[in-house]
Amino acid sequence: MKNLPLLFLGIFFTLAFSWSGLILSSEIQYGKLVPTTSTLNAEGEPEEGGELFPAASAGIALQGKEVYQNQGCMYCHSQQVRPKGYGADFERGWGPRQTVPRDYILEDRVLLGTMRTGPDLANVGGRALSADWHHQHLYNPQITSPGSVMPPFRYLYRMQEIDPEGPSPDAVSIPADFPYAPPPGYEVVPTDEAKALVAYLLSLRIDYELPEAKFSQ
Amino acid sequence: MYTASALVTVVIIVACLIFVSAVYALYWASRHGQLERFEEGAKSIFTEEEPEGRPLDAFPDKEKPRPPWPPEEETRS
Amino acid sequence: MSTLPTTQASPAPAKTEAPPEEWSDRVALSTIDESMRVPGIFFVVSGGVWLLIGTALAIVASFKLHNPEFLGNIEALTFGRARSAHLNAMTYGWGNNALFAVALWIMSRLCRAPVRYHYILITAGVMWNLGVTIGIWGILFGDLTSVEWLEMPTYVTPLLALSYALVGVWGILAFHFRKGDHVYVSQWYILAALFWFPWLYTVAQMMIFFTPARGTVQAITNWWFAHNVLGLWYTPVGLAAAYYLIPKILGKPIHSYYLSILGFWSLALFYNWAGVHHLIGGPIPLWLQAAGTVGSIGMVIPVIVVAVNHHLTARGSFRAVWNSPTLRFVVFGAMSYTLTSLIGSAMAVPDVNEVTHFTHFTVAHAHHGVYAFFTMVMFGAIYFMLPRLLNREWPSATLIRIHFWACALGIGIYVVGLSIGGWMQGLMMNNPDIPFLDIVQAMIPWLLSRSFAGILLTVGHLAFFANLIWMIAGPRSTVPKTSLGRERVPA
Repeated sequence: MKNLPLLFLGIFFTLAFSWSGLILSSEIQYGKLVPTTSTLNAEGEPEEGGELFPAASAGIALQGKEVYQNQGCMYCHSQQVRPKGYGADFERGWGPRQTVPRDYILEDRVLLGTMRTGPDLANVGGRALSADWHHQHLYNPQITSPGSVMPPFRYLYRMQEIDPEGPSPDAVSIPADFPYAPPPGYEVVPTDEAKALVAYLLSLRIDYELPEAKFSQ
Repeated sequence: MYTASALVTVVIIVACLIFVSAVYALYWASRHGQLERFEEGAKSIFTEEEPEGRPLDAFPDKEKPRPPWPPEEETRS
Repeated sequence: MSTLPTTQASPAPAKTEAPPEEWSDRVALSTIDESMRVPGIFFVVSGGVWLLIGTALAIVASFKLHNPEFLGNIEALTFGRARSAHLNAMTYGWGNNALFAVALWIMSRLCRAPVRYHYILITAGVMWNLGVTIGIWGILFGDLTSVEWLEMPTYVTPLLALSYALVGVWGILAFHFRKGDHVYVSQWYILAALFWFPWLYTVAQMMIFFTPARGTVQAITNWWFAHNVLGLWYTPVGLAAAYYLIPKILGKPIHSYYLSILGFWSLALFYNWAGVHHLIGGPIPLWLQAAGTVGSIGMVIPVIVVAVNHHLTARGSFRAVWNSPTLRFVVFGAMSYTLTSLIGSAMAVPDVNEVTHFTHFTVAHAHHGVYAFFTMVMFGAIYFMLPRLLNREWPSATLIRIHFWACALGIGIYVVGLSIGGWMQGLMMNNPDIPFLDIVQAMIPWLLSRSFAGILLTVGHLAFFANLIWMIAGPRSTVPKTSLGRERVPA
């Protein structure tokens, strides 16, 4: 090779090609998606006065997302449901329908995940699991899921002496025969971080349809 | 909003343009002698200090390959 | 090793003819090696330290995945943080430092341009390592971003970008001041990588952190970046090293120079489309998933081209390959490149991806590429480079052998074990009748095999690091330069 401008042009062009092909064109195609109603009217516009989806999450759940991020939950738990017939996401009850681009447009950081050492969490808030179940699970996963390899998040909880006036309303019920169960006279309470994390998990739900994604798809 | 099929059309057009320019680049290169003595380039890594025909590396406890290598009678075929 | 291919026109002794007039000021290779001594050692030793840190974190993360109570009460070492710190220590600590040393050295040698003002290069190196240290500290203590391959908190981005720019500019400067009219294929790869990496990094930082793109466009940007770190940063430099070292050490030119050029352009064209295959089945448009599959399948071309070319170059010289510590590692790496790339292309086929996606199969594949290919090639290049920078031999051949066997066996067990385990995991996950916790339990033997492989790799890394420090700290050897196979410059 003797002609260097050609080499430079090639180096520049190949990456520019993939950048515009993959990223720029996705941005053009759906980078401006907005929330919409579950069904569209005859003109293909959102129903007037209808509820818009997805709805933005707020408050304590958003703080919980920070905890989810800095603990690295995403490295074992995805947040996406593949279409029915591709994999068994639907049959496993991970979501009532596939997830589509519009589901994620209000998220500041998209945590799709690429690993399922643990189950998918896109709709974990839609399963019949109480806050107390989540706290038990985070404190010691073996309580709720024997044989799980999920790490314990005990450091997000505090063990304290039970107030003589009565136990804390937040106290987590830890069965006595598990390691790190509180001794008599003590109770386990979640820190603000644990509360926020559970609020976030409970906020993860796919309980609405979109024009492009109906239930059971 | 653009539809997916419109985008695919655009991508196909762009791909055709790229293909045409690649063909032209190749034509240009051959016209301007870029491809002459092409295989010679492979020898540009050899220098006076590390000449062609000499292996350079061996485990430190093994005897080093010594020049001339390979033996001269085998290369003069 | 006794016969050379017929393409070699002139035997060795005839190659001592005087260089053309205009190259009379070309610098001798030994001078270039000397100019690279301090920065080269700096980058290799920092890389070695990160390699050990990354290995320790890897062992922690691996043990936790079959034994969750192991160090279970330490927040900083929870699985998500330990594995992210491991990835970043290996990628930006070990990988980039080793790459800086090897790429700059090969570039300077091929350009016949000594490294100038190396104290600026060292300053850049110190800044880079400082940035990585702060970044990994951030990951462990609460600032993990949860964006794959970009886990380090954004406050280190400016420092990393600036120090990278300085290092990259040094490679480009060497290129600018080159002597001689030919630009060898390794120079193409390195030059391209030096341009591609900052571009990838800047776009990813901007579109994910500073002005986040909407929705899953972020995910597409993320995987465009993450896959290209391997494809357009590590792979080109790994291939550049292989294209330089294999013919150099065997003393015969690469089998087909045409093929090497074809390989370069097809890699540049296809590899950067492949990243979206990490999102197959996900919430992105179907045509993008198709583009990712096409790019991944297209990678078969450059991979086969490189494999054929390297194989035909080494053919007939396998004893020489085996007797050279450098070539053992480099050829192991080159063979892994072929295998892992072909597996990667297969994994992008939707029917295969349906099984392998979200499983340990992907983890095995990632280590197959970054470790069995890139890291092994870097080890090989370092085994060739350091004796020339320091003018002394490696002190222990035994340690080199331990290093090779521990790493080759270790990564072999790692990839085979996790691939089988991951495939089973995928099949079980796609069968909704199997309860999820049964899958978790079924994975434990395979995860144990991974930890065992990790211990082997640790042994190899310790042997490498011990040899490295012993070599640098040891007494100056009186070995003449010719013992490295190098001839003195004709007067």
